[in-house]
Amino acid sequence: MNSPIVFTGLGAVCGAGKTVEEIFEAIIGGRSAIKEISAWDASCWPRRLAAEITGVDNRTLVEDRKLHKMISKTDMFGLYAANTALQQSGLAAHRASLDTATAVQFSDRSGIFAGSGGGNYSCNYDFFPALAAAAGDLKKFGGQFSESVNPMWLLRNLPNNVLCHVGIRHNFKGANACITNHCVSGALAVAEAAAVIGAGEADRAVAVGHDAPLEPESLQHFQRLDLLAAQMLRPFDRDRDGTVFGEGAAALVLEKATDAQARGAKILGEWLGSGCVTEATGVLKIRPDGDGVSRAIEMALVDAGVSRNEIGLIVAHGNGTRASDVSEAAGIRHVFGDKIPPVTGFKWAYGHLIAASGIIDLVFALTALQRKIVPAIPVLDLIDPEIAPFPVSQTAQIPRGDCALVVCRGFGGMNVALIVRAFPA
Amino acid sequence: MMNPRPRIAITGIGLVTPVGNDARTTWANLQAGHSGLDTIRHFDASGFPVRIGAAVKNFDAAAVIKNPKLLNHATRSHRFALAAAEEALADAGIRPENSTAERWGFSVGAGMMGVDYRELEAVQKICAADGEVHPEKFLTADFPADPVAFSRSQTNAGLALLTRHFGIRGYATAVHTACASGGQALGTALKVLRRGHADFMLAGGFDSMLNPIGLSAFCLLGALSADNETPARASRPFDATRNGFVLGEGAGFLVLEKWDAAVKRGAKIYAEFAGDGNSLSCYRITDSPPDGDGPIQAMRQALADAGVAPEELDYVNAHGTSTLMNDRSECAALRAVLGNQVARVAVSSTKSCMGHLIAAAGAVEAAICALAIRDGMAPVNANFSQPDPACDVNLVRGKSQPQKIRAALSNSLGFGGSNSCLVFRNPEEVR
Repeated sequence: MNSPIVFTGLGAVCGAGKTVEEIFEAIIGGRSAIKEISAWDASCWPRRLAAEITGVDNRTLVEDRKLHKMISKTDMFGLYAANTALQQSGLAAHRASLDTATAVQFSDRSGIFAGSGGGNYSCNYDFFPALAAAAGDLKKFGGQFSESVNPMWLLRNLPNNVLCHVGIRHNFKGANACITNHCVSGALAVAEAAAVIGAGEADRAVAVGHDAPLEPESLQHFQRLDLLAAQMLRPFDRDRDGTVFGEGAAALVLEKATDAQARGAKILGEWLGSGCVTEATGVLKIRPDGDGVSRAIEMALVDAGVSRNEIGLIVAHGNGTRASDVSEAAGIRHVFGDKIPPVTGFKWAYGHLIAASGIIDLVFALTALQRKIVPAIPVLDLIDPEIAPFPVSQTAQIPRGDCALVVCRGFGGMNVALIVRAFPA
Repeated sequence: MMNPRPRIAITGIGLVTPVGNDARTTWANLQAGHSGLDTIRHFDASGFPVRIGAAVKNFDAAAVIKNPKLLNHATRSHRFALAAAEEALADAGIRPENSTAERWGFSVGAGMMGVDYRELEAVQKICAADGEVHPEKFLTADFPADPVAFSRSQTNAGLALLTRHFGIRGYATAVHTACASGGQALGTALKVLRRGHADFMLAGGFDSMLNPIGLSAFCLLGALSADNETPARASRPFDATRNGFVLGEGAGFLVLEKWDAAVKRGAKIYAEFAGDGNSLSCYRITDSPPDGDGPIQAMRQALADAGVAPEELDYVNAHGTSTLMNDRSECAALRAVLGNQVARVAVSSTKSCMGHLIAAAGAVEAAICALAIRDGMAPVNANFSQPDPACDVNLVRGKSQPQKIRAALSNSLGFGGSNSCLVFRNPEEVR
């Protein structure tokens, strides 16, 4: 029998705070970080809400001044979350206690899995001064761009920067992946990290998801597609009118339970399994019947080896859009019938972190299991009659068991389900 | 009890590359050592410090994908991907159907550039006429708000397009570790099949950075060969006079399935996809360590995973970018891993003919390994004339070399230090 895989470090940063405790207190206290955008003057924008990270010095997030020249904003969040999780795990001190040969092997058996996002548009704006100067003359542009564009432009914008720099800092040199699968990137990073440990290809790994999706060009597209909320992000509510984006990152350290126990690490939860499917519907469309949600959950239950009755709480994707919430509820109902465990969602508090959305939800699913609480959705007014009855609540609920299911959905018809358990069970 | 790990077969190959718009043409040209490198002609690169590239030529997506609406949702590199994937599925003689769609998975190394140059230029004209972005301009009626262009620009747009078009409803992922992306996508596919999360995988990579922004970005790093007058010789991996890589574009896809099922359905099997190794160099963002640390671990893991000893390995398709740092680091790693076999194992970099396909490179080169095994032919490392003493590996010089290939290894070593190494076994060696 393989050793169970457990979590020994958690890290998160988002609009609601920069520690797991701070963010969870905001959730429990019903405090949302969603406000009017401050990154640019959005006062005349019809949709102008976001959960931004404000009032935090960049050097607090990433100390190394030189590194800031090599990375973008999304990387900064990712590096911070990964460092926080690794710090909590105590792995650095453990590695320092090893003899040289064992430490080398430790590094080669330590993996990094990143789910990377960072917006699609703004990075290219560094070329605008050169484009403006060239005024459509490509030959002129070719001769002049190097005068105005930072030579490090490509490196700063590599999607896999967090892998690179977490690796260098912590000497993690083993199995790795950088997943660029829109909203499910971070959730898949955890699933792939657990899979390589399970297959014996690594002994431990840090999984991190990070995003900084707030850019005007992107927001105006979402606005035109009528996917953004005017007032608040209200998952599963009758009056919900869209989602709100947030920025930030989350990370988890995974390792074999036997290793964690041998070094006396505090175990924060146990990994059980995952499911990942696409609805094959293209970038934007989703099926109304929640087909992808139910298949991902069923796949995760099989992978985890638990029955649906053992799920004690569900952290839903609950992004607040009309189509996603109703289909998600349908998918959950398809699996659980009339025995749906208590459901909550956290995006009302810290927004939708795109590539980091599923992984930050997992961090707080684990925290909720530890505290034996299903946090309320305080912005809920009236459950959508199309969705009701559905066990979401304006007040806190009690988990009905010690396993949590996290649902994460994204563009491309993607659906990922993750299952974890409190430890010890 | 754990089930024994399933053996995985490669049963379909599709390629769109600078040396051919299908697998047959690409492979024929690589064997003949024909160069796909040329002066850039699909946009005016005459003012750039580097004016050469490895473009896909005379490519007509509409001839392969008879769905104009779908192609409207596809960027240049998505079109390469659609065509290569279609070829791979047709070649495999199996494709997702309603009854199997949920058991088909998809894994792709996707390029990092989502916005078309002309779209970027249009946005600049309206929203940043003076070079500075004015966010309120995005709200004006002039702004070209095209939801299709928005969809195309998403990081997983290629995944969305291909899974929809081919009706793949199981596991799906997109990865990006720069030049290692394609290799890592295939490695992920192997893991997914082995753990039983899919029975079939369509896996590969696609990229096109051969546009004004991508070309600028690599020029700024000084990573490209500026042999503008002699493009066909510009990429010369392991040659003492090499001076940078040549930027290419394209796509490669493989159909992967469980060996026993492939045998049962009478599929032709190119090779066993036998092993995957994956490491981080933790050195510098653009360079590999001179001693090969990082690539060494990936290669050792891949060989161990495949159960292939250096004595059984007959061909290495090197990452071989034609940059000093890469080529020397990779050769140091080959020496360390192959030991006394290094003088025997044939090594070539097919980037010598088709340039560097970035996120597609690892997938295309994996396909080349499978074809090399099938035909018993180690493709030539073209343009090699002056040996570099630091690169004393057994290069396939002058012309391609007919030989039995029992096992082949493909390296992909990316910016950011991600290393992917894949190992393939000749079906005749499978017992």
